[in-house]
Amino acid sequence: MKMDAPKRIAGKTIAYVVLISWTLITVLPLLWMGYSSFKSNEELITNIYAPPKALLDNKNDEYVVIKPQLNVTPDYDIEKDPRERLIIESATISPERRLMVHFLLKEDLSAELQNVQPGDHIYVSQLPKDMQREIHWKTVFFNYRSAISRGGLGRKFINSLIYSITSTFLVNLFALMAAFAMSKMQFKKLAMIVGGVIGLGYLISINSLIIPLFLLLTKVGLTDTHIGIILVYTAFGLPLAVMLDTQFISGIPYSLVESARIDGAGTFKILMAIITPMATPVIVTVSILTALGIWNEFLLVLVLASSEATKSLPVGVFSFSSLTSTQLGWQLAALVVATLPVMIVYFIFQKRLAEGVVGGAIKG
Amino acid sequence: MKKRDIMALPAFFALVGPALIIYLFIIAYPIVYSVALSFSDFNPNRGGSWNFVGLLQYKTMFSDPNFWHALKNNLIVVAVSVFGQIPIGFVLAYILYRKLVKAANFFQTAVFLPHFLSTIVIGILWRRMFEADGPISRLMQITSGDPSAQFDLMLYSDTVMYPIAFALIWIYTGLYMIIFLANLQKINDNLIEAAKIDGASEPQVFFKVIVPMLSGTILVSVILAIAGSLRGFDLIFSITTQGLQRTNAMVLPIFMYQTAFQNYSNEMRFAYGAAISNVIVLISLILIAISKLMSRKTDV
Repeated sequence: MKMDAPKRIAGKTIAYVVLISWTLITVLPLLWMGYSSFKSNEELITNIYAPPKALLDNKNDEYVVIKPQLNVTPDYDIEKDPRERLIIESATISPERRLMVHFLLKEDLSAELQNVQPGDHIYVSQLPKDMQREIHWKTVFFNYRSAISRGGLGRKFINSLIYSITSTFLVNLFALMAAFAMSKMQFKKLAMIVGGVIGLGYLISINSLIIPLFLLLTKVGLTDTHIGIILVYTAFGLPLAVMLDTQFISGIPYSLVESARIDGAGTFKILMAIITPMATPVIVTVSILTALGIWNEFLLVLVLASSEATKSLPVGVFSFSSLTSTQLGWQLAALVVATLPVMIVYFIFQKRLAEGVVGGAIKG
Repeated sequence: MKKRDIMALPAFFALVGPALIIYLFIIAYPIVYSVALSFSDFNPNRGGSWNFVGLLQYKTMFSDPNFWHALKNNLIVVAVSVFGQIPIGFVLAYILYRKLVKAANFFQTAVFLPHFLSTIVIGILWRRMFEADGPISRLMQITSGDPSAQFDLMLYSDTVMYPIAFALIWIYTGLYMIIFLANLQKINDNLIEAAKIDGASEPQVFFKVIVPMLSGTILVSVILAIAGSLRGFDLIFSITTQGLQRTNAMVLPIFMYQTAFQNYSNEMRFAYGAAISNVIVLISLILIAISKLMSRKTDV
């Protein structure tokens, strides 16, 4: 029995309307975040939806020459570089707030420009070509430069990378070892007990143990250290990894292990040379899920990290957004810095991620 | 065989050891510690001596109006997850499954994306979206023609949970869509064809064939939603501004965090905070048990 045509068309129309609207609701805020991160604060105030212009179209920007002052932080090392500079500030982007400032080397300027006085106006088009180019890119990425330097996001980005990569490596290593022992060695009862104990951890999140974790790590002096944070991430990554790895390795025929053993391979050799290469798909899935979870984790670092040296990107972005609440453009740039790597990983591994999430959900 | 087994025992423990030791120290021991802490009067300012005080912390909690306020908000979050994210996710998955649209892959990728983004980032993004001079207010001004229109739901204690509920649905609907889609694709097409040959209409196929077959998946999703929304901290912490707004939208994990790590005047802040944490876990176990019982009843 086929559906009659009008009904079919109606069904299709409803389906398209529902899906397209939900997709727009999902994507539009992210698109707004993306293009608005290239808008100046003035543009965001006057028209919150307009496309970016002031920062991108900067070939004829007007600048004012200013005196060296305490509130003008140079972007070079004054101690090591005593060459004379001309300090100019944008007359259009955050004027008179000392935010959009360039330090031009006087020796590279024409004689006429070397003699301008504070208060004089100059145009970007008057400057030498390579200076124009540098100012162009610095202006385009004004929000990003400000977010990264003022929020210390570079260091936090590296910390996030360290946490994600190290913990994910340890999770994979330990989970593979445990899963191999549990599924390919003849201790079924022991394996069940170990598996059950570790599986329980799947029900517990970092959030529900944050107080005892803080107290215990304080006692052993591991708060505010990379090691302490990596240890916790590794532990909480294990339950899912052990489960997915055990499932996968159980499917590898035992005869492969047996014949390698007859050829004289030791347990460790079998794990590294036979099991690990075969388990690459599950290792990739576990790695991405674990690394993304750690990249986005917030509360642990918020509680454990008290110094700038150990803070991760989400914590950095969060405190940056509370400190600079009037600079919407900078904040949006900080949000993009934190999400762009994730989006790239997501678009590359989208299929795998979906499978991993479904597999984890159903066993959990 | 037996002899080789015993020889292999050290190898077994060498392999399982690292995972087991880290797990026991970082997860299992803290669970026990947390329970013990909640029955004590542990005072970090007094050198950290412990005394057993029975249910004192729990009694304090149940007479604390902040706890009930946070619990109420938390239950709203649970309801939004179970009755908002899951049905919408199901509908979207069903549309994709019945191949009613082209470019299914594109839609799937877009809707699933927010699940992987930092919840903190999403919270900050929606905080800016919902601001008095933000994009949503502007949209309201454009559509209504009234230049003074403002999105003000975030400002009042009795409406703050609406925008938060929306943001929660925005993040997690894609997750349930993916879970349902994967399980829908396991259904044998012949069953649906057979039902249709027997004269079942499209809605009948949906409610009488598809929904019952996915009851297990629905249960798993409900459990995920309950556990996830009770422990959720990041979104509400970052979508609200510090102070009154965050107090209005308080949920149990934030209440726990503020009690243990920000309220320095409370001498027993860690013990009290541990009690709150334990209650969060307990409530989620109870709700999960209830949903399991209910699903068993409807199956019969």
